[in-house]
Amino acid sequence: MSIQKEPIIQFDHASFGFPGVLALQDISLTISAGEFVGVIGPNGSGKTTLCRAMLGLMAPLEGHLRILDCACGELRCHHRAQIGYLPQKGVVDRNFPVTVLETVMMGRYGALGLFKRAGRQDQRIALEALTHVGMENHQDTALGHLSGGQQQRVFIARALAQQPKVLLLDEPTTGLDITTQHNVIELVAQLHKELGLTVLLITHDINMIRSRVDRLVLLKTRLFASGPPAEVLKPEILRQVYGKELVITEKDLVIVEDYHHHH
Amino acid sequence: MLELLAYDFMQRSLLAAAMVGGLCSVIGVFVVLRGLAFVGAGTSHAAFAGVALGYLMGWPPLLLAIVFGLATVWITGWVEEKGRMKLDVSIGILYTTTMALAILFLGLMKTYNAEVYGYLFGSVLSVTSEELRVIGGLSILVLGLILLFSKELYFIAFDQEMAEASGVPARRIFFLLLTLVALTVVVSLKTVGAILVFAMILIPASTAYQLTHSLTTLTWYSVIIGVSTAVAGVLISATWDIPSGPAIVLLATTIFFLAVLFSPKHQPRVAATPCLETHRH
Repeated sequence: MSIQKEPIIQFDHASFGFPGVLALQDISLTISAGEFVGVIGPNGSGKTTLCRAMLGLMAPLEGHLRILDCACGELRCHHRAQIGYLPQKGVVDRNFPVTVLETVMMGRYGALGLFKRAGRQDQRIALEALTHVGMENHQDTALGHLSGGQQQRVFIARALAQQPKVLLLDEPTTGLDITTQHNVIELVAQLHKELGLTVLLITHDINMIRSRVDRLVLLKTRLFASGPPAEVLKPEILRQVYGKELVITEKDLVIVEDYHHHH
Repeated sequence: MLELLAYDFMQRSLLAAAMVGGLCSVIGVFVVLRGLAFVGAGTSHAAFAGVALGYLMGWPPLLLAIVFGLATVWITGWVEEKGRMKLDVSIGILYTTTMALAILFLGLMKTYNAEVYGYLFGSVLSVTSEELRVIGGLSILVLGLILLFSKELYFIAFDQEMAEASGVPARRIFFLLLTLVALTVVVSLKTVGAILVFAMILIPASTAYQLTHSLTTLTWYSVIIGVSTAVAGVLISATWDIPSGPAIVLLATTIFFLAVLFSPKHQPRVAATPCLETHRH
């Protein structure tokens, strides 16, 4: 049924990387409005490249990529603002002098465009975004004083303040404890439902998202599988991608051992 | 001290100090937050090389200072963007190269020129009305541009890639910031000198950084500290007959160390957490 929906991102035999060293090869993939898509794959499989491509920060070497019906080169600032992005958790300098509200207000800056000052309306949008992530009581708190999970919520609120069509999250649960990981994913699922956002969630944690997403995209330089979780998470498909690192438990949990930790 | 204020030269130098102090402390906020401290140092030495060449060839020194300053920041920015080498390495090379050029130009001058050394060490008390007009004009230009692009400048200082991804023309704003740093350095050369201008840019913002968790408050604190130390430094300099540049910088440094000592941000984490519980209803 999602087939009839408006396509938001279309990869058509697109390759990315440097000539000779392709990070992603021959990707054909369409993301439609309102989908909740999980992108999985082992380390170095091109997940982050896919993310940068979808943000329009990387043009394809071969093939085509259309984002919001624009080619990469045609992507203007107001298009970019329609994709709310949560980068991989960098180290937030605990002393960086910025409050929660100031952080979320930055989400308005791209959407506003140059020469326009953020006004009351923008502040209202930012506060609304904070309410969506349950952080409305912390608007004047220093960002550095928050816990990791709370900081992620604030960054999600900043993405929401762009009033995006798409929410693109790169490993949003890394470095968080298990309960907080679940809470963050729960929040994302809830935002997908309540705000009708198209959500793309990149993660290495298959079990965390398998029950939540409409579709899983399995990458390892090439696109190995794309479809409902039950169709993608088949041992024969996963084994092709993860090889010996893969263990599937009796309860059907998928465990990917990090190869490097054993050597 | 009050009778000093009646002199024209004193009024001019106080005005120059206030303008330069304000300008440096505003641009300093972005320099400190974006981690461009060393770029400031490199630019000031490059600008001084421009001044030296100007005196050597009989060309307008400030114009050449602008050319040298801009060339340095643009090359630095370009090298960083291409990822060819680390920012501190490229600026280190440019810094020493331009300093070598400055020494070369000074050496080629047949006679000792006190005016050139004025640009190295700063001489706010000898600012002329014409220089004051140049300082004023450039200050208004730089401050105006900062005001016009402040939201973008804050965003790239916080996270340039995120800014780019959310629709801010981050690369162009970064080059604008570098350009503004170069212009600020040139504006301040005559007043505080090539060596100390760097301190005028860094210290007020770094002091404010110790005192607040808000970007807006940080900027205001920085300006207040920058303007007041510059003005007070000039008054101290005139009253006790000591060089103005060091008076301003040493005063600012003292305040910086006091701020570090009494910074609310350096309290143990336990003491910092309660503010999470202060919910607003």
